[in-house]
Amino acid sequence: MVALLVSLRWRQLGHQLARNPWMIVTLIITGLMALGFLAVLAAGLLAMRFAAPETAVTVLVLTGALITAGWWIGSLLVSADDTLAAERFSLLPVTARQLLPGMVIAGATTIGGLGTTLALALMLLGWSVNGLALVVGVLIIPLALAICVLGARVISGLLARWLARRRSRDLVMTIGVLLAASSGLLINLVLAAVREMGDVGPAFAGAADVLGWTPLAAAFGVPASIVAGDIGAAGVRLLIALATVAVLWFASQALLAARLVAPIQSGGGGRVRSGGIIDRMLPATPIGAIAARSLRYFRRDPRQVVNVVMMLFLPAILIGVVFMNGLQEDSIGFGPVVTLVPAIDALLAGTIMQMALAYDNDALALHIHTGVRGTADRLGRLLGFGVIAVPLLLVLCVASCVLAGRPDLLPGSLGAALGLGAISAGAGAWVGSFLPGRAPAPEANPFGRGSSGGVQSLIAMAVMSPITLILGAPALGFAIAAFWTPALGWVSLACGLVIGAAAVWGGAELGGRVLDRRWPQVLAEVSSEA
Amino acid sequence: MTDQTAAPPVLALRGLRKQFGPKLAVDDLSLDVPAGTMLGLLGPNGAGKTTTLSMTTGLLRPDAGTAWILGVDVWQNPAAAKALMGVLPDGIRMLDRLTGAELLRYTGLLRGMTEADVVSRTGELLEALGLADAAGTLVVDYSAGMRKKIGLACALIHAPRLLILDEPLEAVDPVSGETIRQILRAFVKGGGTVVLSSHVMELVESMCDRVAIVAEGRLLANGTLDEVRAGMSLQQRFLSLVGAHDLGTETLAWLRSS
Repeated sequence: MVALLVSLRWRQLGHQLARNPWMIVTLIITGLMALGFLAVLAAGLLAMRFAAPETAVTVLVLTGALITAGWWIGSLLVSADDTLAAERFSLLPVTARQLLPGMVIAGATTIGGLGTTLALALMLLGWSVNGLALVVGVLIIPLALAICVLGARVISGLLARWLARRRSRDLVMTIGVLLAASSGLLINLVLAAVREMGDVGPAFAGAADVLGWTPLAAAFGVPASIVAGDIGAAGVRLLIALATVAVLWFASQALLAARLVAPIQSGGGGRVRSGGIIDRMLPATPIGAIAARSLRYFRRDPRQVVNVVMMLFLPAILIGVVFMNGLQEDSIGFGPVVTLVPAIDALLAGTIMQMALAYDNDALALHIHTGVRGTADRLGRLLGFGVIAVPLLLVLCVASCVLAGRPDLLPGSLGAALGLGAISAGAGAWVGSFLPGRAPAPEANPFGRGSSGGVQSLIAMAVMSPITLILGAPALGFAIAAFWTPALGWVSLACGLVIGAAAVWGGAELGGRVLDRRWPQVLAEVSSEA
Repeated sequence: MTDQTAAPPVLALRGLRKQFGPKLAVDDLSLDVPAGTMLGLLGPNGAGKTTTLSMTTGLLRPDAGTAWILGVDVWQNPAAAKALMGVLPDGIRMLDRLTGAELLRYTGLLRGMTEADVVSRTGELLEALGLADAAGTLVVDYSAGMRKKIGLACALIHAPRLLILDEPLEAVDPVSGETIRQILRAFVKGGGTVVLSSHVMELVESMCDRVAIVAEGRLLANGTLDEVRAGMSLQQRFLSLVGAHDLGTETLAWLRSS
């Protein structure tokens, strides 16, 4: 049974890869990132092993706790497409007791599981400060791995019924994408905070000591206690770790048994507010209908909610970066540059418009067999996006000028943001009509499969960027010049509005003509699997 | 009957051809559907039914040949041809993050209808198809049968001259099935024309006055129900044309345990 389940998991992965070459690329990139992380871990441990052996132990326990926590939380993100979901076995004459060992080992031999095993093995570098600790370090590898895998099973099992609701799945997915997108800044913030705090060694050592008594890092606490020379504590921590495994084992067996006889079916979120205001606000024409539909999708489709939330988040991230650099070089501080942050944010409009057709996937067929004109499709989507983006950018521009203490720069800030936003949206509307890219299918888990927009999106970016830069140069240039001569901000605003409007019109017209000619090909491209 | 044959066909397929890689999905297929008739399109899995319907409705560009709707070429003048058709595709996603009522309104407005018409017809269609209670639920949360029904409502909302329905009754419960049959009969009685594909012989025999049988991308039979049946049941006739796959007594012998 164990071998059967493990080979089942790998065969399914193999078939997925064979069908979707982009997943191989994603997998290789993920693998390289994981290897990079492991290399950093190894180098750090090696350095610490000789420079500061005591610190090494602290770091090992904390890293161990992080890995375990990563497994437990990560299980929520990937649980949506579990190839060995209990439901798939509910019609077969098998018991939870028969299935669980195979499922745990299959979980430990996934790509993530193998990477974790490798990381745990690398930790031996750190434990090698003490012979006994090294031996114990080897013995706790399976223990730690079991806590990771079983804990992930228990957590996703406990939350399975909640996750089966569409709304909760959407929420988890949105939060996950946002965390992934802002992880770089978060890490920087934490590192900066650590640097600010100065001597944090004792605090970390204390945290490591406490965590070593909890299920999260008890397994790592055992060799840590041995290094500290406290055999008694090591014994107690070993008992905690073993008890954790036992409790998690029986809990996951019980959860599995329950799901085998009461399979969880993914359900919906029930009724939704229909938002009649949207319909009243927009004209009852094809363009108005498409705009209203885009607006609803920006709120209801998790893949697109992420886009809108990114537009809200990116300025915060960018201002955070400016702020952090400002801290280090006081001479710059909050410069007038901050007033151009909304303009950078507005550039997202290009990709959002370019990908608009891809998000519809084969549901786009409705636009084709109802005979919508290409221009109506383009204008409707631009209008829908504009209803969100324009007010957002207005607020951001005002806020950034207040933050910079330069209200006189508002016209330039608006000119750059609205101008670049409209120009890149127009460029996206045109480029998206022949290079729509690919989005994960509506029901797919953005983490489970290769979610890259593919080569098409990269080419599209290469086409859109020069257009946006050339057409946007006047608005951006005068906005920058306004730093010294504020009156030029009004020139920037005029340029932005005029060129922006022309770009939107041109993009919709050109893109619409392409669509009228190529609807069937576009449908084939956005609905193809690979 | 004579005036029907004299009038131009509502749907005319001429030399349709589509190749996917090495597989010839549709091979030089021509077919006429006269006004006021209901044509059942039959064929085994993979026969090219859906490919043919996709080329008819403007979703898939044929390698050769074209489709005419009331004398309008789908591939020369797509907008005019599409305005005459109502389509229920099979196996294609819907914009399922809209509620049923929103999807109907959306389809109606895309068809260029006035808001007043859209609102009144949306209410009537939802009521008639038993979806009134689910009007405010997202289509993604609908059951398979409910999706068929809302898809059919979308195909009907602009009162088309020609309905093209791919598997219209699949997964639909008997009560709603009877409603749909009544709707389609009334539509044909009022001069409308229907092309529906199905695997259910009973549906085709009870509903359709014309039958076309397709296999491996070719038209094997085409005519009135009685012409095609040629004295047999439709099931027997279909099997004799397509080729029945008779199991020998030894195959799956282990299943006969008692």
